[in-house]
Amino acid sequence: MIVLENIHKAFGSLQVLKGIDLQVVKGEVVCVIGPSGSGKSTLLRCINHLERITTGKIMIDGEIMDERRDNRDLLKISGHKVLSLCAEVGMVFQRFNLFPHMTALENVMEAPVQVRKVPKNQAAAEARELLVNVGLGDKIDQFPSRLSGGQQQRVAIARALAMKPKVMLFDEPTSALDPELVGEVLEVMKGLAQNHMTMIVVTHEMGFARDVANRVIFMDEGRIIEESSPEAIFSNPKHERTKAFLSRVL
Amino acid sequence: MERILATMPDIFMATGMTLALTIVSIVVGMLLGLVLALGRISKNPVLKGLTWTYIWVFRGTPMLMQIFFLFFVMPKILPALTTNAFNTACIALGLNSAAYLAEIIRAAIQSIDKGQLEASKALGMNTSLAMRRIIIPQSIRRMLPPVGNEFIMLLKDTSLVSAIGLTELLKIAKQMTSSTGDAIFYLPIAVIYLILTTIFTFVFDKLEKKYSIYE
Ligand SMILES: Nc1ncnc2c1ncn2[C@@H]1O[C@H](COP(=O)(O)OP(=O)(O)OP(=O)(O)O)[C@@H](O)[C@H]1O
Ligand SMILES: [Mg+2]
Repeated sequence: MIVLENIHKAFGSLQVLKGIDLQVVKGEVVCVIGPSGSGKSTLLRCINHLERITTGKIMIDGEIMDERRDNRDLLKISGHKVLSLCAEVGMVFQRFNLFPHMTALENVMEAPVQVRKVPKNQAAAEARELLVNVGLGDKIDQFPSRLSGGQQQRVAIARALAMKPKVMLFDEPTSALDPELVGEVLEVMKGLAQNHMTMIVVTHEMGFARDVANRVIFMDEGRIIEESSPEAIFSNPKHERTKAFLSRVL
Repeated sequence: MERILATMPDIFMATGMTLALTIVSIVVGMLLGLVLALGRISKNPVLKGLTWTYIWVFRGTPMLMQIFFLFFVMPKILPALTTNAFNTACIALGLNSAAYLAEIIRAAIQSIDKGQLEASKALGMNTSLAMRRIIIPQSIRRMLPPVGNEFIMLLKDTSLVSAIGLTELLKIAKQMTSSTGDAIFYLPIAVIYLILTTIFTFVFDKLEKKYSIYE
């Protein structure tokens, strides 16, 4: 579903990603863990073009999204194509980034109506259903400012799902939440995983990674240091840096 | 008092002129200001340079001079573009306020959290759609107070165009004073300015409340 080959990303002289290779198959849930500044967010942001890679190749569902070397395109891909591939990739942000001037329903409907040109009443019906599915059937007409963090994040998940993405990217979706609100968001994500959504989840929730992930990736200093099943990585980490990191967070 | 009453129709017309000048100019200013603001924000160095220069010139020279320039000098340079005093006045006031409004609009747009644009892009929106649906609607709330200020300033600045012969409020006061030799006419005119600015301050307050519902 997603293929990353030799991804490098530099901000000026700062090398943030130093050759990431990763393949995620359909229906797989991959959790990415690692210390602050290791490049986890940057990796996700590169996948959906919020940052442009310096070097490497990104494929989504068999189509090339980006192929570059030293900040130059090896393959010219039209802006239109890039946008339509972006729409196949849903993203959930740490700080929700809901549209504050729109109600929950309008937030969820916006992209289907404006980007996919879905008729309004159909989009509204689908949005309603998505909001009910994330447990917000009674908050449909609320503005984000009236919702708790956990509720806002669930609206954000529904908003991303409304585009019927093939892959969902989560960047620390629960880090900005009060501890008592983390559970409701993780439950929704678990539900998605059970419905075979392909997901890449950057998280500090080791319990979630252990229960839900098919594979856990440990990143440090812009590289994938270790990857394996959650059982293997949590109970028997191979690499020194993984051990050190896990002993700090577990 | 009777003298003032007798001049009511003239004062009424002049008030209309002041309002027409203000409203046409602010519309011109807002539209051009939005274009300039987008130019200032854009990554294109040519656009950036052009808009910067525009703002630099129009904020850096006196408005009255800009009005004179358009009214007296432009017809010499480009006779084809010659138009009447009202149009010239609206263009001059509009061009000038656009420079100020551009900075207001730019600041409002840039005050919107970057996450909003990122979320829009992640949903497959292109930049212009994201601007139109997400960023600009949110900026409107933030720009209302300073735009309200600019509107009041512009309303008062319309008095400058009495210099090119348009009979707006200040001009009518001058005319009456010189025809009667009595400067008392400035008083009711000042009151009309005050009434107008008070009404518009109130309108902008209401608009601000209306756009705050989601906060
Ligand atoms: N736009 C940017 N410009 C310059 N440097 C950046 C930019 N974005 C990220 N960085 C740098 O890239 C490095 C990796 O950042 P990134 O946000 O990907 O880390 P992370 O693993 O997600 O960390 P955290 O767990 O704190 O979220 C950091 O050193 C950061 O300062
Ligand atoms: Mg991060």
